Amino acid sequence: MKRILTITLAASIALFSGCDKKADTASSGGKKLLIGLLPKSKGNQYFATVEQGAKLAAKELGAELLFDGPTNTDAAKQNEIVENWITQEVDVIAAAAENKDGLSSALKKAQAKGIKVVTYDSDANADARSFFVNQATAQGIGEVLMDTAAQLCGEEGEFAIITATLTAANMNEWRKHIEARLAAKYPKMKLVDTKPCDDQKDKAQQEATNLLSAYPNVKCIMAICSPAVPGAAEAVKQAGKTGAIKVLGLGLPSENKAYVKEGVTQAVILWKVEDLGYLAIQAAAATVKGTLKAGDKTFKAGKLGDLEVVGSDILLGKPFVFTKENIDQFNF
Amino acid sequence: MTKSWKSIFARHETVLFIVLVLEVILFNIIGRKFLTGDNVANIVRQSVEIGLLALVMTPIILTGGIDLSVGSLMGLCAVAFGVLWKDAGLSPWLAALGAVGVGALGGGVNALLITRLGLPPLIVTLGTFSLFRGLAEAFTGGTKAYTGFPDSFLALGNGFALGVPVQAWVLAAVALSMWLLVHRTTFGRAFRALGFAPEGARYAGIPVERRQALAYTLAGAVAGLASVVFISRVTEARASAGVGYELAAITAVVLGGTSIFGGIGTIHGTLLGVAAVAVLGNGLSRILSISSISRELSGMLTGALLLLALAAGALTKTLSERRARRQSLPTTKPQPSTP
Repeated sequence: MKRILTITLAASIALFSGCDKKADTASSGGKKLLIGLLPKSKGNQYFATVEQGAKLAAKELGAELLFDGPTNTDAAKQNEIVENWITQEVDVIAAAAENKDGLSSALKKAQAKGIKVVTYDSDANADARSFFVNQATAQGIGEVLMDTAAQLCGEEGEFAIITATLTAANMNEWRKHIEARLAAKYPKMKLVDTKPCDDQKDKAQQEATNLLSAYPNVKCIMAICSPAVPGAAEAVKQAGKTGAIKVLGLGLPSENKAYVKEGVTQAVILWKVEDLGYLAIQAAAATVKGTLKAGDKTFKAGKLGDLEVVGSDILLGKPFVFTKENIDQFNF
Repeated sequence: MTKSWKSIFARHETVLFIVLVLEVILFNIIGRKFLTGDNVANIVRQSVEIGLLALVMTPIILTGGIDLSVGSLMGLCAVAFGVLWKDAGLSPWLAALGAVGVGALGGGVNALLITRLGLPPLIVTLGTFSLFRGLAEAFTGGTKAYTGFPDSFLALGNGFALGVPVQAWVLAAVALSMWLLVHRTTFGRAFRALGFAPEGARYAGIPVERRQALAYTLAGAVAGLASVVFISRVTEARASAGVGYELAAITAVVLGGTSIFGGIGTIHGTLLGVAAVAVLGNGLSRILSISSISRELSGMLTGALLLLALAAGALTKTLSERRARRQSLPTTKPQPSTP
């Protein structure tokens, strides 16, 4: 009876010893570049769109793409995926970090094995990657928001901002650039108030309603956190001010499509998420081929053309403005 | 001779072992660089925490109980570890001891509620499932992470000792202890007796409450140990440690042949269950064409495997009972298989 166990054991040992050779021949046979693309999470339209762009780039480059990410909030999953990729001997990893420090330790392990690393969307520690594909700088976001608002209001009149919290570091950075642009270019416009909505749609709606009654001359509401854009739109719609008071903000086109089509929201601002995925893969491949290296000032990224490189940040460029005319072309 | 062959094949652990070997053969053929030393080490590393939880979950399920709180308790222990190390300035090893202590305390709370108030384990640990995670999140605001541990501590989760991942030794030590406890002591017999018939166990003179309390407290302490291994592996202590691990552990235990009604089950079965799930998940992620859906697929297949194992178990049981009846032999409760 113990013989069965012995036989299966012997068989598996034979397999174990036979396997290494096979793995080697497999790797030397295929010369295709193997790229691991790590999202913050799967099953999220944003990263599904990133994957679409990435697939396009991989196809153009003739590279193999592995796309895998956590399906829940388990902090360790990103690390496990990277560690599995290391043992699969991928050539390069493009990662969006959920937990900066935790993931950086895994990325460093990859680097130690000679695997190139770039990050996109949200950066890891600087010493754990060669380049960060930066979808938008604070300055770019601030300026496009302000310019679009000015355009909607005819460059004069009052406007108000709804933000997530008054302490959110990234949003304060954007506000700084909004106010700088306002002071420099639009002297006839006035920012009357900035209200926090705690990143909640219903609170944003309430704040927007309050703003409308407190400042009857407001011509435009600028929502700079994503739940606030539909929130502000709902408030304007319920107040019966559709079209009279303009709404714009930073958010996902899909969350705002209905309001944009009704004419409540005039502009939704975000980077082209598909392009972000495309650029992440272009950059990843280029670091392996050596066509992108430290100190470069520009990077030729396929169909996106020449993009600016600042330090180790590759800039995707100015954010994109989604309007009634073009919003149907996007599904994220 | 034929009879003994049959009895080996009828044994759940044997079937599971064959499934495991088949998985390994299959993935070695179609997976990318599956059977390499690095990847085997990876599989081991990534299953140690769930393995630890599954090992201590086994006696609990043997008693007919369940512990849904161990994953959440890992989160609480991780935060305790971070606080003790960073804020109290203890060495990582003392902080680890503290985390195990917090785990034992948490397990003790479960034990107290179950044995003193006579509440069902499912309800008690459902409560502490939320309570422990909630405490961990409250302490850290849900977002604070402790990092920057010394390399000597990180070696536990990322280094090698005698050619195998360091934490494999931890798992081996706990596995051996649990095996001895469950299969070679009167404690193990008490756990099974409890699962078969709690009242009968009481009349047989088994200190029911004390045995139950032991099982839950032990589970808590080992959850603390698992959190320490986890922190060292991911180099970060935060409240979200171990999310969903309780279900992964229960899956491994039941897949390993332990009856969810209690009374039947083995420690080596549990280890096989852990390995079968871990190999499946890892192997699927190495098949290039399906790598982007491997995680969903592995969840589905694990579920299918679990149901299949349960169905096979139920079927063999009915068949053997029918045969026994036909031979008009007195049916007895199946004896727990001793190795």
